[in-house]
Amino acid sequence: MSETKIAILCCHYTNEATTEDLAGIPAKVEIKRFPCSGRIEVVDILRAMEEGAEAVMVAGCEMGTCHNKLGSLRASKRVKVAQEILQEIGLEPERIKMFFIPRLDTGAFVRACKQTLEALLEILEKRTQERHA
Amino acid sequence: MIVAERKPIPEILKMIEPFEKIAIIGCRGCVAICSAGGDREVEILASALRLARKEAGRPIEILEETFIRQCDPEYLKPIEEISKKVEAIVSLACGVGVNMASDLYPEVKIYPGVNTSFYGANPALGEWQEKCRGCGDCIIHLTGGLCPIARCAKNLLNGPCGGSQNGRCEIRPDVPCVWHQIYERLKARGEVERLYEIWPAKNWIPAGHGGPRERIREDLQVNNAKQSQG
Repeated sequence: MSETKIAILCCHYTNEATTEDLAGIPAKVEIKRFPCSGRIEVVDILRAMEEGAEAVMVAGCEMGTCHNKLGSLRASKRVKVAQEILQEIGLEPERIKMFFIPRLDTGAFVRACKQTLEALLEILEKRTQERHA
Repeated sequence: MIVAERKPIPEILKMIEPFEKIAIIGCRGCVAICSAGGDREVEILASALRLARKEAGRPIEILEETFIRQCDPEYLKPIEEISKKVEAIVSLACGVGVNMASDLYPEVKIYPGVNTSFYGANPALGEWQEKCRGCGDCIIHLTGGLCPIARCAKNLLNGPCGGSQNGRCEIRPDVPCVWHQIYERLKARGEVERLYEIWPAKNWIPAGHGGPRERIREDLQVNNAKQSQG
């Protein structure tokens, strides 16, 4: 398994993905579930990166389907703040991605995880090219 | 409340550049209410600084604390102990707090983590508006409770300027002309005749003439060390 680490911060209702579902993702994937994505704070995203994640996927319910009405909207706004912070400190904001996922749709969840990894690999590739330029 | 805003992180990184261990100290007063310097903002800034320094290959250790207030000496006492453990402190209090702490602990390197912006109200979540300039000689009993000094771009005291159009400010059309509002407010209250009164020239001495302003209440000073010695 790759040493690349991705953190997923999501609400309980988004998915029931297990380690088995994510086995096809060539990265170390760590899932942290919250009672609602509206409870995911900016600092949770940053701390996931401090703890070694090179990219963070935040997943909430599709707009209008959040159990707590506005949880995923709140999460998306916090993702934006975290992205701005990354930009300020010279890291690529694309390392943090927000996804609105149909409830309990493991397929969509796994695809979002793959997209997060792909975005990260692009960033890492670009960095390597810049170093050698 | 005093409204503040976090400084850009690169500016803070430059302040703490020489240090390997710092503390970030928040304040649960006004800056917590305006989401610039409370517990949550301390956590976020600490995490961002750690990430930035890790990325730069110079990890930094950060203690995180939040005081009840930073504008009263008694709440700043813990700085005595904290300063023994760190090389510098970033305070997320308003400028008042940073000044107070720097007065009390001149040997400690204390840096501001926020820009103190204005005295403002919080009309809706995530929104703050300036309502007072702290000029020390309040005239809003004459203006329907609306302050032309804080809320008029030109600080006019004798009515709207020629640029006021359809009740909007010419400097910032997204802002209502406060003099238009004052007139409408007083008219609705049946107090428009207040505007026909000739006001004495405004006394600007309390606004800061003669250096930093202070206020003394001797009746409250009985427990002060200086007083009890007398």
